[in-house]
Amino acid sequence: MNAVTRFIALASAAPLLAGCAGAQSMFSPMAAEADRVVLLFRVMLIGSCVIGALVAYCLWLACRGAEDRRRMFGKESVVFRLGLLLPVMVLTLLLLWSLRLLGRAGQDTEPDLVVRLQGEQWWWRVTYVRADGSEVESANELRLPVDADVLLELSSADVLHSFWIPAWAGKVDMVPGHTNHLRLRLAEPGIVRGQCAEYCGGAHALMRLYGVAMDPNEFTQWLARESGPAVATTQTQGREIFVASGCGGCHRVRGEVAPGRVGPDLTHLGSRLSVGAGLLPGGVAALETWLARHPVLKPENHMPAFAFLTDTERRALALYLASLQ
Amino acid sequence: MTRRAVRSLAPWLRIVAVLTLAAVALALLVAWLGVINVAASAGHPAWLESFLELTMTRSVHAHSRDLTLPDDLHSMDRIRVGAAHFAGGCAECHGAPGEARNPVYDHLLPVPPDLALQAPHWDSRELFFIVRNGLQFTGMPQWSGGARPDEVWSVVAFLEALPTLSADRYRALAAGNLMPPAPHSAASLRDEGIAELARAACDRCHDTAQAAPPSKLVPRIAGQSARYLARSLHEYRRGERRSGFMQPVAAVLSERQIEELALHYSRLPFVPTSSDAPAADAEAAAIARGTHPELRLPACLSCHGADARADYPVLAGQPAPYLAQQLRLWQSGGRRTSAWGDVMATIAGRLDAAQIDMLARWFSQQPREFAE
Repeated sequence: MNAVTRFIALASAAPLLAGCAGAQSMFSPMAAEADRVVLLFRVMLIGSCVIGALVAYCLWLACRGAEDRRRMFGKESVVFRLGLLLPVMVLTLLLLWSLRLLGRAGQDTEPDLVVRLQGEQWWWRVTYVRADGSEVESANELRLPVDADVLLELSSADVLHSFWIPAWAGKVDMVPGHTNHLRLRLAEPGIVRGQCAEYCGGAHALMRLYGVAMDPNEFTQWLARESGPAVATTQTQGREIFVASGCGGCHRVRGEVAPGRVGPDLTHLGSRLSVGAGLLPGGVAALETWLARHPVLKPENHMPAFAFLTDTERRALALYLASLQ
Repeated sequence: MTRRAVRSLAPWLRIVAVLTLAAVALALLVAWLGVINVAASAGHPAWLESFLELTMTRSVHAHSRDLTLPDDLHSMDRIRVGAAHFAGGCAECHGAPGEARNPVYDHLLPVPPDLALQAPHWDSRELFFIVRNGLQFTGMPQWSGGARPDEVWSVVAFLEALPTLSADRYRALAAGNLMPPAPHSAASLRDEGIAELARAACDRCHDTAQAAPPSKLVPRIAGQSARYLARSLHEYRRGERRSGFMQPVAAVLSERQIEELALHYSRLPFVPTSSDAPAADAEAAAIARGTHPELRLPACLSCHGADARADYPVLAGQPAPYLAQQLRLWQSGGRRTSAWGDVMATIAGRLDAAQIDMLARWFSQQPREFAE
């Protein structure tokens, strides 16, 4: 029960966090990976300021300085040293340092957890690979334990996407037919937001996701629940409409007559923080809004409009989907 | 134009300008005086007749040059469904083999031509252009079903067969499954008038208790759910589903007639047709059942299987040419206009030509009971 209470607290905090600058900011790092990005950024920023000031000072000396100074800046040896040797040295050192810094993640060690993330127009397919090799599919939300070595395997089903949760790590491209790897070790629990960072067509700007860093025990419990089939629902009317209208052609609800693999897995949709890939907060009302207006809210998204559903039918569907905890 | 600008023109150009203005003024004067007789009874002088005909033939030729002919243009399925439409839509004005034309239409200007005589003067593309787009100032309407080239080609197929048809053969093609009418009595003539060939009778094209539709381009509606049938007729009536064959028929149906027809056909027994197609295709079955997720296609049976809504159609046993032609229509955007059609448009867009043919064949071979 504790986990559930905490989960509800987390879920209800999500909309608040979405409005807060920290949730999608690289300046509120919550993982070692992001710390390094911030460090690199600060060093580069300060370094470029210092170099910029030096260049300006030299320029001033060369134009307005005393006669002998100006003569000095005209010498070939000075141009060679300041204009060629110095930049080569500075850039080489920076390159070596940044390579060492960003390549530091433990590439050789066995990860504690592998998660496959697949970009699709315009949502995220998230597959957790458990220690025994079994897979748990979810969507549009990446939950990870803190203090664990996580390997993210990033790919794409259609066009170029880019995975970016600024508080966790820098951008990594998701390329069709190729897997990119990202090692993560999250430092503190919390809910953050991510965004596709590579233009991928019409609804690119609305391809978002939530990242949830959880206490390891809590994560284990959550994953156990997530891997199970949909809980028995009392929303039989909505369930009937879901099946009869063919929603199961694209969406999977494990444990129900819904085998679809085309769109997001909905087995535990009711427990997710958002609807429509980070577009609306979770809950019945948002689900109803999504069902009624998704072609307007997320233009060009690939789900057919189903405009013939009546308000009553949509309400029943929303109640059913929200009950998929 | 200022006087100075006129003076600056070359002398011959000045003459041309004056003559042009004079011609326009004369034309307006003649029109205003009312000396032109626009009565249909007055006819056209021979020189005008020749000029209009030249304009029409050259225009039709130039505008139809680039059309691509369908591969199955002269199939019997096209000729049969084209004949049924011709009898219901075209014969009224143009007349038909063995049928007396209402003399009213002999008094139109121009007189609607007897197509058994005139059709051979045009090639397939030209006939398509005229049937699809109509002809200005002649009373020939454009295709009422909008962008349904598949239907227009079927009419073209019939028109090209028409010159070779005897009156009996024509009557048989046009009547389809319609039973020959009982001989008229004086009383029936007095009360009902002449209904020699019921122009809007459903039996001409559709299922009856004894027979499947005469053309495989026509869907099987016997045993289809009443809600789906009523929805389709409503969509035709509102113009949301386009068809030059069905819209003219559905437009005049009342709400109650639609309900009754839907109920009638939903209860009509499904007469199986002999299937000459080869054994079922495993790949088509896999797509239909959704066991190919990498194709990004939802299972056809999630909407067209046993658990589906009553306003979704049953596809089992539908003729393959009809299914394939509807899927191609979806791909070209022709069925996006209704709320139901919109769902299928997204899915059809992901099918390639081979998958369309394969799925159409697979569904046509499924026994009707499998979805019931």
